[in-house]
Order: sequence, then C-alpha cells, then structure tokens
Amino acid sequence: MDLVFSEADLDFRARARSWLRDNIPATARPAHGAAAAQFDRDWQRRLYEHGWAGVNWPQEFGGLGLPEVQQVIWYEECARAGAPNYINTTYVALMHAGPTLIACGTEAQKAFHLPRILSGESLWCQGFSEPNAGSDLASLKTSAVVDGDHLVVNGSKTWTTDGQHADFQELLIRTEPGSQRHRGLTWVICDMTTPGISMTPIRTMLGDEHVNTTFYDDVRIPLANVVGEMGSGWKTAMSTLSFERGTGFIGDQLALYERVNQAIELARRTRLEDGSLAIEDSAIASRLALIKADTLAIRAMTFAQISELQRSGNPGPKGSVMKLLVTGTSKALSHLVAEILGWEFMAFNGDRAEHPWTYEYLWSWVYTIAGGTSEIQREIIADQLLELPRAR
Amino acid sequence: MYLALDADEREIADAAADFLANEFPLQRLHASARDPERLAAFAELGWLGLAAPEAAGGSALGVVEEMLFFAALGYQCGPLAVFTQVLAAAAAQENIELCAGLCAGQVGSALLVTPPNGDAPVRLVGDAAAPYAVAVDAAGATLYALQGEYLHEQPCLDQSVGMYTGPAQCLQLVQHSAGEGAWRRAQVAVSAMSMGIAERALAMIVEYARERETFGRKIGAYQAVRHPCADMAVRNEAARSQLYYAATALHEGHADAAMQVDAAQLLAARAARMNTDANIQLHGGIGVTDEHDAHLLLKRANLLERLLGAGRSLRASLLAPEAGEEAH
Repeated sequence: MDLVFSEADLDFRARARSWLRDNIPATARPAHGAAAAQFDRDWQRRLYEHGWAGVNWPQEFGGLGLPEVQQVIWYEECARAGAPNYINTTYVALMHAGPTLIACGTEAQKAFHLPRILSGESLWCQGFSEPNAGSDLASLKTSAVVDGDHLVVNGSKTWTTDGQHADFQELLIRTEPGSQRHRGLTWVICDMTTPGISMTPIRTMLGDEHVNTTFYDDVRIPLANVVGEMGSGWKTAMSTLSFERGTGFIGDQLALYERVNQAIELARRTRLEDGSLAIEDSAIASRLALIKADTLAIRAMTFAQISELQRSGNPGPKGSVMKLLVTGTSKALSHLVAEILGWEFMAFNGDRAEHPWTYEYLWSWVYTIAGGTSEIQREIIADQLLELPRAR
Repeated sequence: MYLALDADEREIADAAADFLANEFPLQRLHASARDPERLAAFAELGWLGLAAPEAAGGSALGVVEEMLFFAALGYQCGPLAVFTQVLAAAAAQENIELCAGLCAGQVGSALLVTPPNGDAPVRLVGDAAAPYAVAVDAAGATLYALQGEYLHEQPCLDQSVGMYTGPAQCLQLVQHSAGEGAWRRAQVAVSAMSMGIAERALAMIVEYARERETFGRKIGAYQAVRHPCADMAVRNEAARSQLYYAATALHEGHADAAMQVDAAQLLAARAARMNTDANIQLHGGIGVTDEHDAHLLLKRANLLERLLGAGRSLRASLLAPEAGEEAH
C-alpha cells in the first residue's frame, strides 16, 4: 500500500486548484427553477470549454481519459474550492446516462449524446421508479408496444428529479406484454419534447418542487433509441445503478469532509443555552469526533475502492457499503448540528444558501431514500457481500 | 496511491492467518482458563520481531506489516502477550541484547495498563512472573524490571489473561525509549486486533445465519437478521479502510498520521464493541452460553478498548481546527 500521488497526479491537482480558484462563479447558484438549471448548464459548459469535463471519461468520447485517482483529485479540489456541486440538474446526464451509453450505447447514440452531455447542452432525468414500483423496481408496469420502427409508451413514472428541465430521459419500460419481473424490460432514450408527455410537480417537505410524476400517453419513441438489447433493460439499468453505487457519489463523499470541518468550526464558536461552547460539551464532542473519524474512513474507502477497481477492473459490491456509510454519516452530522444550533435551526425559509444546515437536515432523508433506500442497500449487502440465504 | 494489499502484504496477511488458525484457534480458549502464551512458537517464525531492527534479530519491516499480523491475531483472540512483547522490544530498542532476547521470546514482559504515578497502585495484565513490565504513552515506551511477588491477582472478565495490581515499588526502571513511535505502533496494533475481533464476530454470525432455521426458514433470510449483519459489515469496512490508510500514513511519515491513527482506533473500537454485541444477540440463547465462542470476542473487545486508556483522548486531534489540512 502507498499513499504517494504520482508527479502527474500532483501536477493535475495543482492545475485544478489554480484553475478553480480563478473560475468559481462569482454569484451563488439560484435555489431552484429554470435559473438554477441554467446556472448548472453554464458551469458545465465552462468546464467543457476549459478542458475539465469528463476527467475519467475515455478520450474518444470527449473526456480527458485520465486515471480514476485524478477524477477523485478533481472532486477533492472542487469541494475544497467550494465549486458548484455536480449533484445538480446535470447529475443524471453525467453520472447515469453518460456512463451507461459508454458501456451499452450504439455508435450513433454515443456520437450524438456524449458531447452534448459533457458540454452541458443536454440535461437528463431518470425514468425508473413508478408510483407502485420504487424499492421493488422490477414490478414496474409502464409499457410499450412496437409499432413499425417506434415504441409506443403508456404509463407513468415518479420521483423524476429535475424532469421539468431535462431534454432527455433514461426510461425503463416493459416491452414484452405479460412479462414478469426483470424479464422483458427495455432501457430507452426518451426525448422529453415528444408529444404525449406531461408532468406534475411533487412538493417535498423541503418546500421545493424538484421532483415530479411523469405521464406517458401514446408517446412514440424510435427503436433506434433503445440502449442495449430489447428485453434486456434490467441489465442496462443495473450497469447504470452499479456505477452510481460504485463511484458516482465520490464528489459528495469528499464534500462531506468539508461540511464536517465547517461543523467543527461552528461548534467552536456556538454557545449552548447554558452559555458554554458546544465543543466543550462532552456528548457533542464525542459524537463530532466519531463523525469526523467516519468521514476520514469514507475518504480512505474511496481510495480503497479505486485501488480495487485498478486491481480487478470491478468496483465490487462495496458501493452499497459506501452509500450506507455516507448517507448515515451525513444524517448524523446534520442532526448533531441541528442540536448545536438550538432555535437558530428553526429559522428556515426554504433557502439552501441562507439556511444550509436546516436544508441539509431535511435533505438527509432524501439521501437515505433516493437511489435505493438504506433498507435496500442492506439487502444488497446481505445478498452479494455476505451471501446470506434469500427470502425473495 | 494504492490502498489495497499488494502481493507481499497479502502473503504476510495470509501466512499470519494460517499460522494462527492452526496453532491458536479461538476454540483453544475453552480448554483452559489461562491462555498459554507459547511465545516461542511466535518467535520461531519471526512474528515477534516483524518491525524490530535486524541487529536484534528482527525483520525491520514496517508498521503496515505489523498491522496485518495483529489483525490476524485479533481474529483468533491470540495471546495478548505477543502485543506486550512487541512493545517491550520497542522500549528496549537501544539495548540490542535485551531487545533481541525479547524478540526471541527468551525473556517475557507484562503490560502496565496503569503505569506508575507517585504512590498510586499500578495495574498490569499478562504474566506476573515475567522479569519485565512495559508501559507506553505518547512520550515514549518504558521497560521496568518487575518483582511480581508484590502483586495481587484480580479476577479478569477476559479469563485468558492475568490481571494484577500492586505498589509502584515493584517496578525498577530499566530502559526508556523516548518519542511517540511506540505509542502510535501500539495504537495501530490494538486497532488491528479490535478489527480482527469485529471481523470474526461477523464471520461467526454469517455462518450461523446460513445454517440455523426458525419458523421453517434459515434465519439469514429474515431482514431482522440480515440488516444488522449488513450494518456489521459497514462498520468493518470503515474500520479496515481507515486502519489501512492510517498505518500507511504513519509508515510514510505524513503530518496528519497521528489524527488518522486516532480515527482508526475509534472506528476499530466501535466495530469491535458493536459487532461482538450484535453477534451474541443474533445467535439467540446459544450466544450467551459458556461453550459458545461469542462471549470470548465480547470480553476481548472490552479488554482491547481499555488497553491504551479511555478513548476520550482521541478526540483532541480529530476536533483540532487545523485537522486534516494535509488531506488536501
């Protein structure tokens, strides 16, 4: 084992740090709406034009073709510099659709979509979950029949994050009538401007409307938009999710490190109701120290994960371990800060920039539910890592 | 940057695991109350001198190799005397002859867990008949000559080790090695043993959950069992990754190594404490019986958590304002 960064890694870090210092947007990201989506597109375009987009994407698809460790360094430097978080309206395009197309797409699909994804020109949304198929994704019912060289889709999807801003959707549908569970599904690219698509926003407990329910009424999608084989959409979808559960959240894992240090600073200057400093409270100090230790472990696990990837070419089933630890630690942190802040915590108008800690507190449940609930992650660990007997 | 075992490291980890599984299987602890230390068996294969200087008969390897060995030792609840002996050799490193005797297992040492402090009584674990006792803290490692006849034996929850109290006068300073090197190595070794315990607890319950049936089904098929097992795995992964990182940072002399090691110790202690608890609970009634191995892990986890003093001292480095600057 070694923790030595190569000359190339160090050089990359220095260049990234210097570029980020000079190029961080002067204004904060708008909290929501079309202005937020435009902000995300602009930042992604800026990265693309200056040669920072797709650090670990292959060069033939417009990426930089750099090793995974430099992708991690990039996210570390972004977190350190306070650069815009990539878990925004570009997330599904960059972290789901892009890697899935690289792995399973046709040459035409790759040639059309990948440059647009990297440059921020197209935003994507996800179309997996349904009102009656969330954790049990394989029970999904939205279906399509083949009509000439098109699929005709009917049904509904939900939790369509930022769907109102998206140009394309990764849509998982049942294309073999009467098929059950994982069989007969197809992963298809859906152009969001196609007639027959409508969307209803869902207001969340954060007070915003970033998720939607999407309805499909005889929506015609060219067969050329099928990614992978017709009927093997489950396989394509799992490659999408395994990437997300593997390395897709690295930036967030590293951003957590900065948040913990901010919380320690907060505890050093915040007085509790009895007038004592929060950091001097033994219970608070002990919880905060453990959270900090977990955050260091998350960073170590990130490096262990990319080392494993380097050794075997496969991140293995540890992604679910990472998701549980990251989302659990994040929740523990925001709950602890909520206690430290006392009444200040209650002053909340829904604005993330103004009241980040209250926002993070409410967001912590999104974290432990989205992308497979903590309970589903435990099932995956029990099945794949511990090989316990299955009940399902 | 490579944070997974390379071929040499894997070889050491595998060799240690094989040796301990053959010579010191966990089940041995049911046979006799006091665990025979058999230091010679360890010395013969060089395990006592992994990181000791070659002049003292050691292998002059690093803290990473030592960590891998202690993780394997923890997995079998191996003799604590091995840890004590490695520390004693570190304390005696400026006296090559004595250091060599300790690495060869020819002279033994007890471990001072409450070191001399004025007239207050001292506390030791290990062999009261050993000629030496070793104490370690962040300032250095100290070897004392021990006059065991003044010690009183106390019953110990972990029956595999002896526990004694006595007057400070039973100790005579022999050798002091200044600097925090021995303390950090001790932290890494204790963390590694705790991690080994935590991993054994998970392995034990997973094996049982695949076999045991209730209500006509393997218990491993119930989410009430599966989910706590998954949480055990998460605690183990966090502890292992952090320990690998910390040991490597220490080996490479990083500025933040002390903080990394403190974090590793906290996480390994948590994994051992919580996983040995869950292992007993998920076994049900059989888990609280004396004939079962589960309580051996619980008791050893408690011993290890106390060995280097209360975990409160670990907070300071983690909560320091400048903590982790080097991480970036």
